[in-house]
Amino acid sequence: MPGSSIFTSPSEALFDLATAGARSIVVVGTAKNAGKTTTFNALRAVAARRGITVAVTSIGRDGEPSDVLDGEPKPRIRLPAGTLVALPAGLIPRTPALAILDSGGATALGPMVFARAMLATTCEIGGPPTARAMRAAIARLCALGDGPVLVDGAIDRVASLAGGNDAIVVATGAASGATVAAVAAAAAGTVARLSLPGRDPSSERERVITVEGALDARDAEDLLEHASGATVVVSDPTRVTVRGALFEALRAAVDLRCEHPLRIVACTTSPVGRGITLPTHALVQAVAASTGLPAFDVVSGLAAGAPRASAPRPA
Amino acid sequence: MTADLYTSERIGLDWLRAAIAPVGAFGRRHDEALLPYGPGDEDRARTEIAACRDLADRLAAEAVERLRRALRAVPEPTPIVVRARAGDPLGDVDFYELGRFSDALDGLARIWDDAGGPGDGRPPVLERLQALLAAGRDGAGFYLGDAFGTDLRAARAALQEADQDLDRRRLAVAERVRTILGVDPSGDEFVVMRDVFDGALPPELHLVRETPAYRVAGFTLDTADRERAFARVATAEETARRELAGRIAGEYDALTAAMRALGALDHLLARIAFAQRWGACVPTFSGRLAFSDGVFAPLAGLLAQRGHRYTPITLELAGVAVLTGPNMGGKSAALATAGFLCACVSLGVPPAARVAELPLLERVIWVGGDGSARARLLSSYADEIVRGRDALAAASARTLVLIDEFARTTGPREGRALLIAVLEALRARGALALAATHFDGVPEAAGVAHLRIAGLSGTTFAQLDARDLDAALDAINAAMDYRIVEASAGDGASDALALAELLGLDAAVVARARAVYGRGGSSAP
Repeated sequence: MPGSSIFTSPSEALFDLATAGARSIVVVGTAKNAGKTTTFNALRAVAARRGITVAVTSIGRDGEPSDVLDGEPKPRIRLPAGTLVALPAGLIPRTPALAILDSGGATALGPMVFARAMLATTCEIGGPPTARAMRAAIARLCALGDGPVLVDGAIDRVASLAGGNDAIVVATGAASGATVAAVAAAAAGTVARLSLPGRDPSSERERVITVEGALDARDAEDLLEHASGATVVVSDPTRVTVRGALFEALRAAVDLRCEHPLRIVACTTSPVGRGITLPTHALVQAVAASTGLPAFDVVSGLAAGAPRASAPRPA
Repeated sequence: MTADLYTSERIGLDWLRAAIAPVGAFGRRHDEALLPYGPGDEDRARTEIAACRDLADRLAAEAVERLRRALRAVPEPTPIVVRARAGDPLGDVDFYELGRFSDALDGLARIWDDAGGPGDGRPPVLERLQALLAAGRDGAGFYLGDAFGTDLRAARAALQEADQDLDRRRLAVAERVRTILGVDPSGDEFVVMRDVFDGALPPELHLVRETPAYRVAGFTLDTADRERAFARVATAEETARRELAGRIAGEYDALTAAMRALGALDHLLARIAFAQRWGACVPTFSGRLAFSDGVFAPLAGLLAQRGHRYTPITLELAGVAVLTGPNMGGKSAALATAGFLCACVSLGVPPAARVAELPLLERVIWVGGDGSARARLLSSYADEIVRGRDALAAASARTLVLIDEFARTTGPREGRALLIAVLEALRARGALALAATHFDGVPEAAGVAHLRIAGLSGTTFAQLDARDLDAALDAINAAMDYRIVEASAGDGASDALALAELLGLDAAVVARARAVYGRGGSSAP
């Protein structure tokens, strides 16, 4: 199929891309069951094969056997020995025992605990309830180890991404659209929204409007009516809550920028949704084309828009 | 000592409670169980205040602040201790938290020693608890190490071996899956799209479910050995936790005693910090209310924030007295200071004064002033009368009644008469009472002592810009003699006209008022 290739290991390529220049990698999904945890596990598997000790945490609650909302089976989080993990005390497996290194911050499942797996273990992971606490948890994990910090993220809680220097991987798939085109469009919208450029004083328009807090639909309407051509600045891309056509119209009408840009490095695709299966090759290719980012199907071993990976690295 | 809400606000009792609030949960529990000192508690109150004053002298303020910061950070072990005692299983996070608690106590004791604190007040150190947890602690963390159980080491080694064996087999299968199917399985179950591979699955895989477009395959691995090894570790770890929890339950008394000691320390440090901030003293206790250089700390703090000087107050009160003097001369502040210092000793706080002789009271009541919340329903006058009624009903030798310009909102002749009658009644009941008033001749008529604020020193304020309120307050401060002195008959000048001039009232109006005043109040030209 032109433009797409079967790689020796797209997961390896994705891992290299994500860890280049960032200590923390956050995987966010465009919808529930978009393959986020599968991507997360693929990154961890690469690290394990290479003998790299990682730290893991989650913006939501992940790793439970089935989804607490829809009962769908979900991938478990298997932590090899040595893995650092941040999770609420209530999710700590009793066996085998973890080494408890630190604690701090409250969650509904008890205090956040920073621990190290002494033996391989399988568990659920979860994270703190606020964006600030999440950033603190990532910083603590960075301080406790020297490997990458992998964060199982959540698209509806992207505020946690603000203020960090994470590499962000967007997981998308049949869960967010019934057709390849729909999935690609949704991915493009998410990536465009999260990829707002940072401020550049040399190219700013004469009129600069700073939006404090969230930029919502009402703000967007006002800006479209009264601020066409101006540079509009938000704190970070997570403050933009408008979607779809309104977002596109706004982006066309104003020079939309942010103080703290995010770094989106890649997309992953999952062709399987509830009652829907999309063509694997076409999906990965369409997402790469619509987002302008490398796209990977880490299960089917496909990639598009990315350089061909070399042979698998030795463990 | 009790005081209603309005009185509490006026005498700074609310402020005082906030100023001496504990920084941690142990201190809050400690204070919740305490009652204020009252009549009969003089020895205990003096002992506490003397100990506090002594430590305020011995410990540096910076060390006290460090101790309070350390106290604030002590984790709360109560739920863990209670669960352990009840025989509930504890988890590794519980052991970790107990380790943190033990570390925090160590840290407090070190700060105490470094600060030169006396041995008998040293925060507790839980050496037996430290010994119980030692095998799991390397630094600040906790791990249920092999030393906690006889079978732990062997069980874990067996599990590790089983894991490695399983991983080897899993990797081998994964490699075959990658080779044969072209799929990279990252978990035990994974999706195989039919457009990627639609052949027969290798025997190491089983079919979990399938659709026309994809199959979900799972690894077929014999995990029985691993499950047995896991169960053995689970048993060994739970046994170790149960035994450790049992030993910790045996430390229940020591742990609860330590928590009580932390509560008492928090309580004490708050008072020490207060004493250091406000230069407090150890009082003597008697039925009199006398103090030198007393400070109404809420006001002094407020003035300091605005860069103004606060003048300490000296007062001697035995029985009932009337306090007269100029407006803005500090009559209300004198009343508040008297109540504040009594509140200090009732809470075991060194009173903010150079020297003090104070009673332990049953009750303080404030009558008059700006009016209580009840005054929004009643008129100011009615509110005063109701409060006066309550004061008379409660009045005894163990009650302090502070009366601030009682009946000033009614006709002056009737108001004066009423004040005289109230003071006579208070005197008859043996109460301590101090009444600030501008009414003339009240002390003589009521047969009570007469004190007065010395007042303005005669400075003129002609050059002052009356629009600058801060400058006006500074000028008044400089010119006002705030000393409370014994008055003689006829004393009672309010310096009202001079102050009105200072505060910018039209000069012609002030001059006219002076002329009227000089003629004894007649308005005839």
